[in-house]
Amino acid sequence: MNALSGYNTSGKPLKITIAGVRGIVGETLTPELLVNFSQAFGTYAGPGRVLVSRDTRVSGRMVEPCVCSGLTATGCEVVRLGVVPTPALQLAVRQSDAIGGVAITAGHNDARWNALKFCREDGIYLNDKQAEELLNVYHQKEFTKAAWDKLPPVGSDEFAGDCHLEAIKQQIDVDAIRAAGLKVAIDCANGACSKFTPRFLADLGCEVVAINDDPDLPFPHEPLPTPPNLSQLRALVAAAKADVGFAHDADGDRLGIVTETGEAPGEEYTLCLAAEMVLGRGDPGPVVTNLSTTMAIDDIARKYGRKVIRAGVGQVFIAESALNYEAAIAGEGSGGIVFPRINYAHDSIAALAHILNLVVERRQPLSTLVAEVPKYTIVKREIVCPPQRAYTVLEELRRGLEAPWAEAVDLDDGIKLIGSDRWVHIRVSMTEPRIRVIAEASAEGLAMDLADDYARLVERSM
Amino acid sequence: MTGIQTLKIGVSGVRGIVGQSLTPQLIVGFAEAFGTYLGGGVVVIGRDPRPSGEMVANALVGGLLSTGCSVIDIGVCPTPTLQHAVVDLGADGGVAITASHHPSEWNALKFCREDGVFLNAYQAEELLNVYHQGAFAQRPYDALGRVGADEGAINRHLSRVLEATDQAAIARLAPKVVIDSVNGAGADCAEGLLQKMGCEVIAINDVPNGRFPRDPEPIPANLGQLCDAVREHGADIGFGQDADGDRLSVVSEEGIAIGEEYTLAFAAEVMAERDCPGPLVTNLSTSRMIDEVAARHGREVLRAKVGEVNVVETMIAEGAVGGGEGNGGVIDPTLRFCRDNLAAMALILQGMAWRGCTISEWAGSFAPSAIMKEKLECPAGRTQRAILALIRHYEGQRLDLTEGVKVLSEDGSWMHARPSNTEPILRVIAEADDCESARRLCDEALAVARQAIG
Repeated sequence: MNALSGYNTSGKPLKITIAGVRGIVGETLTPELLVNFSQAFGTYAGPGRVLVSRDTRVSGRMVEPCVCSGLTATGCEVVRLGVVPTPALQLAVRQSDAIGGVAITAGHNDARWNALKFCREDGIYLNDKQAEELLNVYHQKEFTKAAWDKLPPVGSDEFAGDCHLEAIKQQIDVDAIRAAGLKVAIDCANGACSKFTPRFLADLGCEVVAINDDPDLPFPHEPLPTPPNLSQLRALVAAAKADVGFAHDADGDRLGIVTETGEAPGEEYTLCLAAEMVLGRGDPGPVVTNLSTTMAIDDIARKYGRKVIRAGVGQVFIAESALNYEAAIAGEGSGGIVFPRINYAHDSIAALAHILNLVVERRQPLSTLVAEVPKYTIVKREIVCPPQRAYTVLEELRRGLEAPWAEAVDLDDGIKLIGSDRWVHIRVSMTEPRIRVIAEASAEGLAMDLADDYARLVERSM
Repeated sequence: MTGIQTLKIGVSGVRGIVGQSLTPQLIVGFAEAFGTYLGGGVVVIGRDPRPSGEMVANALVGGLLSTGCSVIDIGVCPTPTLQHAVVDLGADGGVAITASHHPSEWNALKFCREDGVFLNAYQAEELLNVYHQGAFAQRPYDALGRVGADEGAINRHLSRVLEATDQAAIARLAPKVVIDSVNGAGADCAEGLLQKMGCEVIAINDVPNGRFPRDPEPIPANLGQLCDAVREHGADIGFGQDADGDRLSVVSEEGIAIGEEYTLAFAAEVMAERDCPGPLVTNLSTSRMIDEVAARHGREVLRAKVGEVNVVETMIAEGAVGGGEGNGGVIDPTLRFCRDNLAAMALILQGMAWRGCTISEWAGSFAPSAIMKEKLECPAGRTQRAILALIRHYEGQRLDLTEGVKVLSEDGSWMHARPSNTEPILRVIAEADDCESARRLCDEALAVARQAIG
């Protein structure tokens, strides 16, 4: 993965990784790059139908025609879904005869960025092997060139978003939620869920108080549903006396929550609460999560007699493991949850629906449900590191590492040291020139100390 | 290697074969160059109905938006409709996606400026410099352009032509017209125009799908089906269009393709009859019939270099009453400065109605003349050698050296040899009283040129 990761040689902000191609519009994410990557994908995955969606960032209007042109030039039939949550695209690909999909979204990155994410015919993103194949095609630049009479017209499908909502509704207790008549505050970050979630909640009989639900306006804050970005939503929940508050990211894969007391417990709780719902109702199978996610999920799984399988960090690893292990639920501490009955995609609207269902079913306020989740503290540190050095730094760190408290070491994705009541995970970010140190412990002070100690170690080995 | 051979980047735009040389990369590059050249603003785009048009349009839109230009997409339309729309919408430029009379596998970008006129040679060179330098304006996300659509462009164009036409006279004549649109951009609007003017319309090849049933160049050799249809239906006239509605050819009521040179002769005569001053403007290779028209109506004829923009710029500078090119392109300055088949049809039908004569009678009012159009493959580096040899050969005769070499004889015959703007060929055109004489003039020049090229 070393070769695939990293900024380009000029040091400009371009990331060509297994997570797709990501860059800053006006600097690195140029029309040339976009048509080249789209032709590479058309060459790699085609011929056949390819669905294309985008989030609400304004640059999507420039990126989309480039993608359509590149795909068409290889003879692929493009169907535009317009602005829809990325999981809606993934579901549409999975349910149709499409051979793949392209999501135009830079996820939680700010508005300067945009990106292409490629998914295969089952709606899951390309895995590392497939992404490497795609990159080989891209670098070889020997693209399929369809003749003039083999260029299919571009079609459009306006129903993918609604089909997605319908698929979610089929997996939750709609009648119970309607009967409860909850008041729900929602912050859509003016992202791809803006046109869908408020309508979806209204359909579930909720009284909806929405903010930042205009897809034509810029992101009101970083489109990442972490507590620092939720102050507006917390104020809204308190002012509106809402039963629950939810926050979307830009493209509808991660969900943040706010309790009726106006507190934001953190996006780790999204997975814990969703798992309570899914395991509690008896969906069979284990829980899949990543190496950096809270130990609380182990406690919840144990309560329901389930195993926890730890996969690499990143949606594709979670989705593929969920598929392979026939998981009941899968997800990451970042707030992206996979509901295998619906789709193998991080899906914030599905997460929101299941947490609402949990509140209704348990007849408890959300703050109580949050309090019932075993308490751990996660502390995250980031060390800026030139991408071409990152893996060397980690390698050196690994050699000199001593951790008497650790019962196990997992080297699947960076270094994870696992103890009975704590863990530390040191890994290279896939999307930024950083090394992340994540530490968790039952006591807050211990987690802080762990994170600081290992962050210092990383700095020292640089 | 075919990719390189089929790509033409020149003053008239960029043209290539889809699936070979006309790639999305090339298109976004040119789109960014044009956006950079304009320095932002609004660009109107339109396309002929070739199946590759949508792929090209998407790449074009992406490239233009990235430079901060906003785009108004008017969809499938004749090229003159695009040129009208650039002016109507107050845009800063336009791009026509059309390979004009070239076969279906080709496509091209043609760039026009804020007055709806194509870039002239100097401007095209500036654009090419921007393209080759590759340092395009790259705007950040919050300064990107927006895309809009405008579905009214064709109707505005139609209305403007109708308003300028004596519809009542045509309606009284109620001519039976066969129109062959080669499944090109002009299919729907030509039929619409003819019907609105009160013609009985028989349309063939009228599905604008870009799958051309014949070579789209409207020259007699490609109009056999139209001639048959005119005879079969006993029509008064047949019109043959190219793929993007800027070149028109006429078939007489006898079912004879009289040649695309007559299109301008007829239209120019109607424009010359207008009660306003000004010369007629055409290019150096156009038939002398326009001189007859000018003589009949007391007008002067000015001849510019070959190419729509050259004729147009002379028309504007000289306040022309009418103009166009002998390849079937008619420019009516009371409408817009563009070659326009709708304007051409309206003028010719109006002329027939006013005269109360058949189209072959009108054609017969011109002195007998034959025009030969030949071409000689000539490596780009050798064209000037050929031209110099021709100048030496014809020394002492009346020469016009505006573009290549044109030899004018006392008896009114002429020969014009010039390098093509778009292909590595030397074009040799001659006109005389009869075919044989025109052929002799061509052969003489071809022999000299061939020897010079070696």
